[in-house]
Amino acid sequence: MIDPAHGGTDSGAHGDTSIEKDVVMQIARSVRGALERQGFRVVLTRNDDSNPFYDDRAGIANVYRDAVFVSLHASSTGATGTVRAYYMQFAAPIVATPVPPSSAPNGVSAKPAPAIALASWQDAQRPYVAASHRLADQLQGEFVQAFSGSPPYSAGVPVRELRSVIVPAVAVEVSSVSATPDQLAALGEPLGNAIGRAVAAFRQGGGAR
Amino acid sequence: MPRGAKIALGLLVLGLIVGLISFRSIQRRVKRLAESQSADEKARHEVLAQPITTASDVTQTARIFWAAGSDRIAPVEVQLPLSANPVERSRQILHELTANPPTPGQRTVPADTIVLGFYILPDGTAIADFSDTLSSETPSGILSEEMAVNSIARTLESNVAGLRRLKILIHGQEVDTLAGNVDLTGFFDLSSAPLPAPQAAVQTTPAAKSTH
Repeated sequence: MIDPAHGGTDSGAHGDTSIEKDVVMQIARSVRGALERQGFRVVLTRNDDSNPFYDDRAGIANVYRDAVFVSLHASSTGATGTVRAYYMQFAAPIVATPVPPSSAPNGVSAKPAPAIALASWQDAQRPYVAASHRLADQLQGEFVQAFSGSPPYSAGVPVRELRSVIVPAVAVEVSSVSATPDQLAALGEPLGNAIGRAVAAFRQGGGAR
Repeated sequence: MPRGAKIALGLLVLGLIVGLISFRSIQRRVKRLAESQSADEKARHEVLAQPITTASDVTQTARIFWAAGSDRIAPVEVQLPLSANPVERSRQILHELTANPPTPGQRTVPADTIVLGFYILPDGTAIADFSDTLSSETPSGILSEEMAVNSIARTLESNVAGLRRLKILIHGQEVDTLAGNVDLTGFFDLSSAPLPAPQAAVQTTPAAKSTH
């Protein structure tokens, strides 16, 4: 699942001659071509200048239970030609201090609430964070070789698109939207090849399990 | 030239002159309005973004996280008068972060950002309410937004004890994202130094020992 970020009235980052929503659409089409040549089935969350809401993008991805979700972005900053992979990072829940039985009203023990089977839409990605982190590391390993100057490690960041996706999900951001159109166009094919190699390695390593 | 055509031409020229005069008048009004708004904003910034001083201020070394290159942040040690009150101290620290980066290239938070409010809940949750500028002037992008949020979180964590997590509001409201990418609906983990033990607990120690 390839998700070209932004679209419609949401332009995303602004460069001198280009805007993120157009850049990522162009790159997404190149990435799709490269992945299809490697034998992957690819679905785009948008293929025009529409702007599906974050939750709608997650909804599209969640239909495909064996998929991986890659949201494509172009940054305002960063060294031109570098690429970064991000996985969702949730804040740790604050654990309430249990009330000792002696201090509870009428001596009633304060037992923890039983586990609830329903998953919250707001943090549906939480059970997949470890798998998403592994996928992001695989991707960053490919990016550091294919795109000189890219950082060696992926990073955990609360990226809005990722939080309700129930498959391994990452965001990939290229730097930067201020690059020339030729530089940006040249990124698509090698980016698709790198993503294809990383996803294949991720699946061989057990995928979402 | 027929008389009717002359009248029509005369009316057209007259209309053109009136239009030009009106256009220049509208231009002047728009310019005056823009100048007035800019002056209002400047005055508001000067009032709200005053450095905070309290009676308990002591000059100490603070660690402020500014940009160190295009994709990371690093602490810089500065001498600052800091309050003993954690809320005032947090506001002082955030003022330093937004107002005084060592160089323009080290800026992580837009220059005109103002801390409108700061609260600390008993469970260690810090709530920082920033002006719209934080959202509207931070360049859109995961990297730039992450650096902005991370510089705020790490700077608070390093200088204010007892903070466990951070909630960021924009003009008193919860917003979906900072500038289109980083989720602000949740919390950011902080691992501040623990709060110092209360004075009363320290005083009971010798008495407890004497009973053994």
